Amino acid sequence: MSYIVPIGPYHPALEEPVHARLYTDGEEISRAEVFIGYNHRGIEKLAQQKNHIQTLVMVERVCGICSHSHALAYAMACESIAQMEVPKRGQYIRVITAELERLHSHYLWLGIALHIIGHDSLFMHTWDERETIMDILEEVSGNRVNYGMVTIGGSRRDISDETKTHILEMLDFIEKSNLRLRDILLADKTVALRTQGVGVLTTADSKRIGAVGPHARASNVPVDVRKDAPYSSYDDFDFNIAVWDSCDVFARVVVRVLENIESIKIIRQALEMLPAGPVNLGLNKLPKIPAGEYMVRHEAPRGQLCYKVVSDGGQNPKRVSIHVPTFKNAPTVPTMLKGNSVADAGLIIASIDPCFSCMDR
Amino acid sequence: MQEYKKISITKDEVVPVARRMREAGVPLAMIHGFINDAGKPNISYEYEVGSGIESYTVDGEDVLPSIAGIYDLAAEWPEREIMELMEITFEGVDTSQRLFMPETMIEGQGHIIVTPMDELIKKNLGPKEPAEEQGKEAE
Repeated sequence: MSYIVPIGPYHPALEEPVHARLYTDGEEISRAEVFIGYNHRGIEKLAQQKNHIQTLVMVERVCGICSHSHALAYAMACESIAQMEVPKRGQYIRVITAELERLHSHYLWLGIALHIIGHDSLFMHTWDERETIMDILEEVSGNRVNYGMVTIGGSRRDISDETKTHILEMLDFIEKSNLRLRDILLADKTVALRTQGVGVLTTADSKRIGAVGPHARASNVPVDVRKDAPYSSYDDFDFNIAVWDSCDVFARVVVRVLENIESIKIIRQALEMLPAGPVNLGLNKLPKIPAGEYMVRHEAPRGQLCYKVVSDGGQNPKRVSIHVPTFKNAPTVPTMLKGNSVADAGLIIASIDPCFSCMDR
Repeated sequence: MQEYKKISITKDEVVPVARRMREAGVPLAMIHGFINDAGKPNISYEYEVGSGIESYTVDGEDVLPSIAGIYDLAAEWPEREIMELMEITFEGVDTSQRLFMPETMIEGQGHIIVTPMDELIKKNLGPKEPAEEQGKEAE
């Protein structure tokens, strides 16, 4: 018997609205379609009405998880047009915040994945440990989300020696807990039964559709902007790209927990090598961005984030284009759903770590 | 600073460039559009070549060939997005269903990037919310 099963736009397994239509043959999904746009806020249009600093503040609100990534990418695009050289200390602080953001984003997703597969005890444990990372972010920036750490020309806040020592201590705790989480996830039967062989996206399909970030790396595609096109001093740090070759939901879990280890390594190096000097260029007035256009890429927690800014030399940007990782990864969902059971659809959709607020803008 | 190179091409070169890039295994980062000073669309295809971006730009064309047949969904979604946000057509792209805009804002009623803000505010964006109607009745 064939059915059409709608999922969403509002569904318990989805953090944000999206609509999937599953064409089933019994329990098996034979075809699927994804519909987006339920969170479209016209942010790109609004950016044209605001000056560069107002736009910087606004794009930080595109997403509640990777807010720093949006501000960083927008600032980098403006700085590239204006040929500004951000002070090294400012670049390092940007990296520290970006990696803390990646850690909390990955912990958040791991918790959600565990909740969906029914492993609620580990879900609560994971989110409890995520709080440590949120505490660090709060100590560094004063906020749990929308950190406001970026300004055009550098970082808005410095990291004191006292905070630095405290973060390093906290990192020891996070590293220990992450290694324990890794060992559990690699060995746990519940995790294996619900995720192995589920929602497969082959390496060829990943490349064909253009998946990015941890989603691509879990399909054995070693792409990472931090390595492929280093920016903000990422080439100063020693870290590896985590990849896994099973191409299923399990691989997406493993890649993220392995990436946490690399993020901790980067933060530790950045803190230990934190250069002396100013954190920004001291541009107290509205920065002058000359006419020009530039596109930058940043490895956000969910993958490659692209910002293209067009300036006509005025106070407001002429155009801001935002292409987020979910816009690249969401088209892979129908391919992953095909041949799986309806019961796994929520998990498979969630396995791309979707951010529909980011995607819809 | 990441490298960024802009290269102007004609409408006829869009597909050959995309084919050459695909054969070389170059990912398509994004397709981007804005309205130039003459009021015409400026569309650029941003390819990740090495550690930089090569931006192949077509200026002043209202109709462009689709490269969805070459770059699959990596091109189809951005093309559909630009069609909804700007007055431009990518030949061969299926636009029977919306991508971003509400149903009431497709078919030429949306194009929010090219429509001035004051006109956009005046547009009828579909049926009013029940709460809004009730509020009016109470007045």
